[in-house]
Parts: sequence; structure tokens; C-alpha cells
Amino acid sequence: MVSQQQSTRCEPNTGKYTAMPETPSKELMQALVDVAQSRDKKAFSYLFEYFAPKIKRFGIKQFGVEAQAMELVQETLTSVWRKAHLYHSDKGAATTWVYTVMRNASFDMLRKMKSNKEENISEDIWPLLNETQDTNHEYTDHLEDKQIKRYLDKLPLAQREVVRGVYFQDMSQEQLAHQLNIPVGTVKSRLRLALQKLRNEMGDQHD
Amino acid sequence: MIKHHPSETLLTQYCSASLSASLSLAVSIHVDMCPVCQAKVAKIEASNAEQVFSDSIEQSQPLEMISDDILDEQDSSLFDFITADNSIDEVYEVEPVAIKVNNHDYQLPRALTRISHGKFTQVGKLARSRVALEDGPLRSSLLHIDAGGEIPEHTHTGFEITLLLDGEFSDEEGSYVPGDFIFQDGSHQHTPLTKDGCLCFTVVSSALHFNKGFSKLLNPIGNLIY
Repeated sequence: MVSQQQSTRCEPNTGKYTAMPETPSKELMQALVDVAQSRDKKAFSYLFEYFAPKIKRFGIKQFGVEAQAMELVQETLTSVWRKAHLYHSDKGAATTWVYTVMRNASFDMLRKMKSNKEENISEDIWPLLNETQDTNHEYTDHLEDKQIKRYLDKLPLAQREVVRGVYFQDMSQEQLAHQLNIPVGTVKSRLRLALQKLRNEMGDQHD
Repeated sequence: MIKHHPSETLLTQYCSASLSASLSLAVSIHVDMCPVCQAKVAKIEASNAEQVFSDSIEQSQPLEMISDDILDEQDSSLFDFITADNSIDEVYEVEPVAIKVNNHDYQLPRALTRISHGKFTQVGKLARSRVALEDGPLRSSLLHIDAGGEIPEHTHTGFEITLLLDGEFSDEEGSYVPGDFIFQDGSHQHTPLTKDGCLCFTVVSSALHFNKGFSKLLNPIGNLIY
């Protein structure tokens, strides 16, 4: 281990006498998280200074006109400020997220220029909410539902009916009381008992 | 398992927003259904981001035409303008949308849930609903084929993308499963037919050309599909 570390450190600089600064990925990621969590203007000004000139450069390539490039800068950075909470650091680099935000803004701008259409459809094409995560989420929910149904079967019938009605058939407690011909208070107490039991069965992770 | 994917070129263009709206939608629907292409897209986006946003690029390509000073004059007012409003954009969650075609229930792909589409027009076993998306000569539709239905052998003067959303169909090349992305141009001809019925998203660049007789009789179908 030690020798490996040394060899990495001793790797010769390949002849470039000005060291290329690496993309400050960690700092950018942190700044984006800070903007999301505490509306941190200082963190945002760091992002702003880093990204604005680069977005502008990209915009000029894309549109050939400086005014539109500046519009792209504004559109993108406004979205970064207002949508930072949609960024999840475990899904990738901050630069990639900002790129997708910029790409979407640029798509909507181009489409507007071409077809005079005011509708923005970039988020239908590239949802900023990561869709794979959503699908996974549904999938787990689905599995969880199955598991919950198994636990349900262990409940006494009276409690099971109540849980089914409220959670799986979307009935109100009043409707359920009416249907089962019992007082609403009884529905509530059965539900409370049932949930208590389910919680004991399923353990803490479902709190 | 999905066997037919958009080409690497299409995926790359998709990621950098250089495809038109209807093609982007087609690729997007496929990507939602296909973990393989999801991984590719993530990779391409990361590498695009690298190219546009890395500091080293900036150093190695000195800027001829713009100086960052111009930005400096404007950027403090832009910064103030943006941060003056402290509100955030709420996450929009797309509720699944169900549609019914000839008594079959389908769920619309996520990408189409907020884009409207017209009423289904029926000719024989084919039913088509136009997706409300203005995109030059390209027309996007939802195409439903009832069980046992087929589209007569045809070629394309332009191209046709067929994305199978639900059900199955097969043609001379084999059979297809939901998520399959089939790109065809003038060099292909095919006769898709479905045993159990299917719903597709199609993008077509020009009217179809039917190869076998009765072409006049088939014209309504050609117009229906385009």
C-alpha cells in the first residue's frame, strides 16, 4: 500500500509547466447543496462566478448572438437558484446537473425561436427529477405494499377491515363506520390498535 | 427484453438537445423504459458537462471574441435580480395518466402526460391520435392496432420511428416488446402485424408509400398513419 501511494505521488509532471486546475467538483457540489439547504447567497455567488462565463460561451456557440447567450445565462442560473433542491449529490457531479439545466433552457429557447411556441417542453423530455429514481421508488413502494398485505393478514379481522378500507380503498373513517355499522370512535380505536401492531411487526425502519 | 435501441448518434444528439422535439420525445420515452440507455445517457451528459464546464478547457481555449469583462458589468445586477426572489420551484410530480382505446386500458408514458393529444380516429383496426406537437414536417402520434390487425406492406420516403409502448407486434424482422425503438427509412419495408393488439408512439416524416396494389384504397391508412 505504502509503495503504491508513493508511486502515485512521484508521477512526473508530464512537461506542462503550468498546472491545469482541475474542476473544483467538491466545492461546486457543496455550494449547490448549501444553496438548496439554506438559500446561501455566498454559495450561489461562487456558482454564479464559476458557471456564468462558461454558460455564456456555450450560448454564443449555440445561438451565435450575445443577447441570447446572456438570456441563457439568466435562464440557467435562475433555475439553479430556484431548483437546487432537486439536485442530489449521490446522482452525479454538480457540473452535470447544471449542464442538464442549461441544456433544457437552451432547448426551450431554440424551439421558441424556431416555432414561436411559448410552451416549454424540455422538462417533459428531460425531467429534472430523476425518473429512474422515481420508478425505483414506486417499485419499492409496490413491494412494500405486498409486504404490508402479508402483515395485514396477521391482524384480527375487525382491525384488518378498517386498515383495508382506509389505506387501500381510500374510504373516510365516517364512510367506513357507516359501512361496517359501527361508531366512528370504534373505527378510530381499531385503526390505532392495528397500526400499533403493524408497527411492532414491521420494525423501526418503517416509522 | 428490449432489443432495439436508438443509435449512439441519436442518443448523443438527444443529450445535447440537437434533436427536434418529436424525436427527443421518442428517445425520452425509450430511455425511461430502458436501463441500458439510461446509463448511456448519464455518461454522455457527464462528459458533455465536462467539456463545457471544466476549468482546463477554459485555459486551453483562450477566448477570441468575448471577454469576461462584459459579463462582469452585468453580472452583479443579474445576481441581485436572481437572488431577490427567494422562492423555490416546487417539484412537479407527474401523475400517471390512463387512456382507453377501443376498450383497452393503457398508461401514457411519462413524457406524454402533459402534452395533449387528439381524439382517436379509427380506420379498420387502426386508430390514431395526433400528439399536439408542432415540429415542422414531423408528425407524432399514438397508434393503436387492435388484435389481429396489420399495417399493409409499405416503405417510407422519409423515415418512421415506431416505439412500442404496450402489447406486441412483429414484422419480417422479428417480434418486438414494449420499449423497442424501431427506426426505418426508405431502405426498409415492413408489414407489422399484431396478435394481441398494441399501442405505439410514432414519429413519421412523410406519408407512407404502400407497395402492393389498391394503393388508392390504402390512401386513407397512409394519411392516418402520417
